[in-house]
Amino acid sequence: MASSRATRGRITRRELLRYGAAGALTAAGLLGAPGSMPMAFAQGGGHRGGTLRVGLDSDPPNLDPHRSSAAVDRQVFQSLYDKLMDTDANLKIVPMLAASWSVSSDGRTFTLKLRQGVQFHDGTPFNAQAVVYNFDRMRDPKFPSARRSEISPVTAVVATDPYTVEIRLERPYSPLAYTLTDRAGMMVSPAAAQKAGLDFALHPVGTGAFSFVEKIPQDHVTLRRNPNYWMKGLPYLDQVIFRSFPDDNARVANLKSGDLDIINIVPPPQVKQITQDAKQPGAGFRLLEHGAFAYNGIWLNVTKPPFDNKALRQAFSTAIDRTAIANAVLQGAAYPAYSFFPNGTPAYDPSWKIPPRDPALAKEKLQAGGHAGGFDCTFMMAPGQTNLAIAQAVQSMVGEVGIQLRIQVLEFGTLLDTMSKFQHQAGMVGWSGRPDPDFDIYPFVTKSGIPDFNYAGYVNDQVQNLLDAARVLQDMSQRVRAYSQVTKILADDMPYAWLYCLKEYKLVSTKMRGFVQVPDGMIRLHSVWLAS
Amino acid sequence: MIPVLFFVSVIIFVLINLIPGDAARLFLGEEAPPDAVAALRHELGLDQPVYVQYLRWVGGMLHGDFGYSFKDHRPVLATVLEKIPVTGELTVASLLVAWAIAIPAGALAAWRQRTVTDYGASAAALVGLSIPNFWLGIMLIYLFAVHLRWLPASGWTSLTHDPVRNVRALAMPASVLGLVLAAVVMRQLRSSMVEVLSADFVRTAKAKGLAGGVVVIRHALRNAVIPVITVMGIQMGTLLGGAVITETIFAVPGLGQLAVNSIYGRDYPMLEGVVLFSALAILVINLAVDIVYSLIDPRIKLAGGRS
Repeated sequence: MASSRATRGRITRRELLRYGAAGALTAAGLLGAPGSMPMAFAQGGGHRGGTLRVGLDSDPPNLDPHRSSAAVDRQVFQSLYDKLMDTDANLKIVPMLAASWSVSSDGRTFTLKLRQGVQFHDGTPFNAQAVVYNFDRMRDPKFPSARRSEISPVTAVVATDPYTVEIRLERPYSPLAYTLTDRAGMMVSPAAAQKAGLDFALHPVGTGAFSFVEKIPQDHVTLRRNPNYWMKGLPYLDQVIFRSFPDDNARVANLKSGDLDIINIVPPPQVKQITQDAKQPGAGFRLLEHGAFAYNGIWLNVTKPPFDNKALRQAFSTAIDRTAIANAVLQGAAYPAYSFFPNGTPAYDPSWKIPPRDPALAKEKLQAGGHAGGFDCTFMMAPGQTNLAIAQAVQSMVGEVGIQLRIQVLEFGTLLDTMSKFQHQAGMVGWSGRPDPDFDIYPFVTKSGIPDFNYAGYVNDQVQNLLDAARVLQDMSQRVRAYSQVTKILADDMPYAWLYCLKEYKLVSTKMRGFVQVPDGMIRLHSVWLAS
Repeated sequence: MIPVLFFVSVIIFVLINLIPGDAARLFLGEEAPPDAVAALRHELGLDQPVYVQYLRWVGGMLHGDFGYSFKDHRPVLATVLEKIPVTGELTVASLLVAWAIAIPAGALAAWRQRTVTDYGASAAALVGLSIPNFWLGIMLIYLFAVHLRWLPASGWTSLTHDPVRNVRALAMPASVLGLVLAAVVMRQLRSSMVEVLSADFVRTAKAKGLAGGVVVIRHALRNAVIPVITVMGIQMGTLLGGAVITETIFAVPGLGQLAVNSIYGRDYPMLEGVVLFSALAILVINLAVDIVYSLIDPRIKLAGGRS
């Protein structure tokens, strides 16, 4: 099963990261310098000291970045580990542990110049050998790494001098740079990893702004300031405590009562109310908004009736009013979607319009598909209030043209299992989004993603060729052209009926300063301080 | 108890293995290559036949090895033992809350039968029974944490670490669980009390000229409480189930939250550990209830005794 899926407003144990858009930074601007890098804060001068309390939507299950498969882990990783590269508030790739890099002209060698004078929390020096060790660890067939697939084109990683590393690829692979801004780019201490083996998740050691103190499952993770952090003068906070609140209402209530300083997933149905509450005099909290990074929609199983019939898939999609779902059902906490690329991602194409609902056209398509009177089908979804509201809206929209949906609610793990066995006709499963567009589309509509991503069972040679080409192209604008072509084909074939993209929200206390809301939705704390 | 535990272990294992979803696939990332999944399945022992997995599990337990979490290789036994005091304390506190409300209310309702007091108490009990745990929990948070700011909205401090903060953290979750339980106990106590109050020995006591309160407390209550204890024993299971929801809302790091997270993450060894300990707890409670019977009513003898 897949590592990252978003199914509804509040999401699941797996990758439920939400990514926000690069665009709307206004709210973040109120709290910190918009778009600026952390170094700016070092001079800006925040307060030293204090404990920051973070409310997460679920308990981070695994603190080893090379084995983690839950999105929520990554919120903790941002403080515990540094990555070879990072993304800034505009989703541009910026240096982190790699001070600079270059790509060879054939696109098959990636050379990294590493930052000097960095050490892990246990005192192990960070250098080329450490990077080589990390890649070996992720690629070791005997080590059950969750990262291997992300770096599968890597054939060798070689230290050419103490602070230079060459990553050699079997073919040009443009998504690699963004991959290194995420878990595959997080460097663990070789000494600590060798010593702890499979227990490394219990004693994690990185180079991050904060070092590990303790983790009590289902309760909290405590991190302490790293006094030797390589960004001079940072971090400001003495301590960070992450606590998990799986219940949406409880998480919001804890922030409102001042028991938390920031929470990571704001339930969409409450956004309107929270926005109003935040404006009340004396409200100690603020809602930060971003564009969208995640998407949600309905898989139509093309391997069996009724959706093996293209005209019926088109009829289904045409009968849906996406704007009403975003604005009425989700009360404006989402944008309507008609592609795999939300407006916060680099491949977003603003010329791509949301087609209006057209019941007459839907009926024509039904006739063309040989079911003029409509048809029945089962629609599977994960539990949740928001999910159910959306499913019922879709049910009544398609019901008007004669498509009778039977809604079936399944626990998320069971839903994925059922769908990966292709026992469904239609099912609603979304995706949390990735900075590189490749991970938003490739496995979902190609053969390689069957059965764990491509729940339509959809295969199309033209789509496959275009997406393979996009992986080789180094220039993003060229890639975007390929993605737009693919999107056009998909809009006609309709294996996945896109519905909406949730906006990225963070609810923060007004005491929290210096926070930069980055499009990937990650809570980065090295530049954050608490106003007294 | 041993045969019961054996059957429980079989049932737990079979049920958990019936949950759809492959733990190994669940942990590995996108486009996970088949060999990586195979390696993880091997590491987790999932490539073995189910009966071998079961025998390994039971065999390990007999040696005190309850296995390791699939998620982060944390030992199951240590984790469960760490959670037991938390849920245990929550359970005991809920019982105290329930008793403190239900015993006076139930006795009073029975004593003042068919009066406003009686109807009022019964109506309150009906409301208590009908309120869902999670709703009550959220409402308490909004009232006491968000508006009045008297109590922390959630979280946990252990009793040994800071008793005051422990009690403050415990107050709301224990009240939520206790209120629902109080309703059940109060209704049970009222009906058994009504029965006892019409018994001959109560009439005799009254005839001797004892004061009403003394009759109710010393004579009637002690006899009326036996069926209530049975109900309490049964309710302990419900309490553990309710703790799952209450712990989630109040972020109390107990067995309930551990169970929920283990189910969602398909962390089989951890889930098996939690369920087994819960089953053990219920068995122990039932035993305790039997013992308490004989303490309260000497006419009831423990098994093995002769009457």
